[in-house]
Amino acid sequence: MKSFLVISGPNMNLLGTRKTSIYGEGSLEDIHRGLQARADELGVAVECRQFNGEGEIIDSLQSALGRFDGVIINAGALAHYSYALRSAIGAMLLPCVEVFISNVHAREEFRHTSVLAPVCVGVIAGFGKKSYLLALDALANLGSA
Amino acid sequence: MLAAGGRGIMKHYAVVHGPNLNMLGKREVGIYGGRTMESINADVEAEARKLGVSVEFYQSNGEGELVTFIQQCRGRVAGILLNAGAYTHYSVALRDGISAASVPVVEVHISNIYKREAFRHVSFIAPVCLGQICGFGAYSYILGLRALIEERLDPWTS
Repeated sequence: MKSFLVISGPNMNLLGTRKTSIYGEGSLEDIHRGLQARADELGVAVECRQFNGEGEIIDSLQSALGRFDGVIINAGALAHYSYALRSAIGAMLLPCVEVFISNVHAREEFRHTSVLAPVCVGVIAGFGKKSYLLALDALANLGSA
Repeated sequence: MLAAGGRGIMKHYAVVHGPNLNMLGKREVGIYGGRTMESINADVEAEARKLGVSVEFYQSNGEGELVTFIQQCRGRVAGILLNAGAYTHYSVALRDGISAASVPVVEVHISNIYKREAFRHVSFIAPVCLGQICGFGAYSYILGLRALIEERLDPWTS
């Protein structure tokens, strides 16, 4: 069974409690529950983690090879400036899909650039929590289309 | 779960391909893959049937034709799946057309535009779209259709 790692970055633990007009009402746990249900439907496994620390995300990515078949990452604000994260994704030799809850292109200019996007398979942004589920669909489908 | 199909009225969506996408499968297959536009459309059609919605397809190489088509989607379709091709990166007219249409639009790209030339990293239409999906080949369209159909895949609200 294919297994995927889902990483949410800084402040994602506060989902549902901050800026709900942008990020929606649901919590990160709701997203994780949704991913689990979708994984069951697809016949794959998911493991969901959240870190506020850049270093912890890097540690997690570095240990993903051999244990997972791909990674979904919502790096939050780190997406826009973390070259260390970019290097870690580039080095990990697993397909990575970048997701955003909000449409980053409709927000402040500094959010229009992701330094991670060029080392990811693709990007899904703007569909609320559904962005994560679509990313799981995308990873599960890789290699079959 | 597939609420869109269960309400008696079948929702209707438009799938719009911009310039040069009619050449899919014939040009730069290293970037865009070997699939033709017609075979991608067949996949989207099959997915739509599964989701209980109907779709129509439109392709034009002309910016003006695309603007006109999108304008005329107003009040007529529930949403638009749009791969605007190169117009994505510079067409203010297309952006204004999307805003004027008042229809939810999902932007899709076959390739990961962020892996390519710098001029492709900017999308003029992204700020007026619901969201963007890129990099998954023909499957970007399938994901885009699922994204457009709000009722699907919402386990956190149930």
